[in-house]
Amino acid sequence: MNVLGIESSCDETAAAVVVDGRRILSSVVASQIAVHHPYGGVVPELASREHVEAIAPVVAQALAEAGLTADHIDGVAVTQGPGLVGCLLVGFCFAKAYAFARGLPWVGVDHLAGHLYSVLLAEPAPRFPFVALLASGGHTAIYHMEALGRYTMLGQTRDDAAGEAYDKVAKMLGLGYPGGEIIDRLAAQGDPRRFLFTRPYLDKSQSDFSFSGLKTAVYRHIREYPPATAQDHADIAAGFQEAVVDVLVHKLLYAAAAIRCPRVALVGGVAANRGLRERLSADAAFKGIEVYIAPLSLCGDNAAMIAAMGYHSLKSGASSSLDADVYSRSPKPAAPESKEGSGK
Amino acid sequence: MIEVTSHSPEQTRALGRCLGQRFEKQGAILRLCGDLGSGKTCFVQGLALGLGVPDAYAVTSPTYTLINEYPGRLPLYHIDLYRLADHDDADGIGLYEILGYEAVVAVEWSERLPDETWPVPNLKITFTLAHEDFHLIRLNGCGLGMDDLIREAVESWEGKIQG
Repeated sequence: MNVLGIESSCDETAAAVVVDGRRILSSVVASQIAVHHPYGGVVPELASREHVEAIAPVVAQALAEAGLTADHIDGVAVTQGPGLVGCLLVGFCFAKAYAFARGLPWVGVDHLAGHLYSVLLAEPAPRFPFVALLASGGHTAIYHMEALGRYTMLGQTRDDAAGEAYDKVAKMLGLGYPGGEIIDRLAAQGDPRRFLFTRPYLDKSQSDFSFSGLKTAVYRHIREYPPATAQDHADIAAGFQEAVVDVLVHKLLYAAAAIRCPRVALVGGVAANRGLRERLSADAAFKGIEVYIAPLSLCGDNAAMIAAMGYHSLKSGASSSLDADVYSRSPKPAAPESKEGSGK
Repeated sequence: MIEVTSHSPEQTRALGRCLGQRFEKQGAILRLCGDLGSGKTCFVQGLALGLGVPDAYAVTSPTYTLINEYPGRLPLYHIDLYRLADHDDADGIGLYEILGYEAVVAVEWSERLPDETWPVPNLKITFTLAHEDFHLIRLNGCGLGMDDLIREAVESWEGKIQG
């Protein structure tokens, strides 16, 4: 079954064709990341207007790269939420119209579920059950992945997402964008023990996160002791990264151990972080826990994960109706294909 | 204008809650200003409680997501302009449309846009990280009835944190 996936929840317009929820024929992301921004973020021409301009060419390119025509598509999967309503609507309406015009089944997919399923596109893919850490610019949460289509959230950030803390610290250090990648690189040359930032564990036995305090601590440190040399910068980056990695790795492995789950997975943009990957692999190996990490190309927002997730929904008989609407935010715990949400 | 001192995130959250409780049928625009880590998101968490947003919703930073919407007595729109460059970007995410809704609209990094952007009445709330142990929060009403609203909210807050 060839599923066309479409994603437009925030900054990226993306389309992909995935066979049987497993084999990626194409995955196109019209990224705006290349455009640098004075405030250290993605240029938010991300706005719906940009999605409107990008959507048709991106879908056409996904079909072309897959070597297929529209006649070969058997179903459509599209991000329904959470995200920016104006942006979501572009992909959602496009998918609706595309499926309707061609008489195809289609289904709305939760963006976070898509991220969680991205690790099933890894080689090898984890068996169920596993515990997954989803860490990105907008989200940081731990999930118990019980079976295909069934998962529960164990905890999430109470304030900032991990990726957001990375980007804000990068901005404080005048490092540019994307902050995660730059700090990761710089941290490798720094001494993580020179500046010790308090680890925001909250309750060590719970899966909730808080990165706002760490961000503020780094900010105060930089204000009081402005970094003068390249080494100072690298040491602050290393100290910050070490604090984040300590907390993420501890929480993920603790959650897995608490429910006696022998497998963990790392998904979302922050999963691309080398320091995090290495430490998680080392600490998990020590505890006898297997680690699965989403393929690098699927860590950021993409449509292949949406197509893969959508394939499983469509196969189980789910399909959305034409009056389905997008949602900006899902209440916790986010259920897969949740119909709840705040509407628009 | 009223300036208060908050000694903890809990107190900042409580102030947001007291203000949120004032909004019954009529929405409001809250311009939140202040540096990184000065308590803006924390304040909005309290605001959500005061507006009766269900506990099931975690109120988190909208820096990446740009706009977070929550259902409450009135809808709450939590918006962050941190990543935006200018008026065009703000227009692009639909800010000006949302400012016209019957809702409580709390905008972080609102200082990114000039004063004349904001419809009157509105509240300007400035957060200053004065010291490691306390934050200054300045509430400025702009338009009819706003100063009374602030006074009532602050009085109710003072009663709570002393009691």
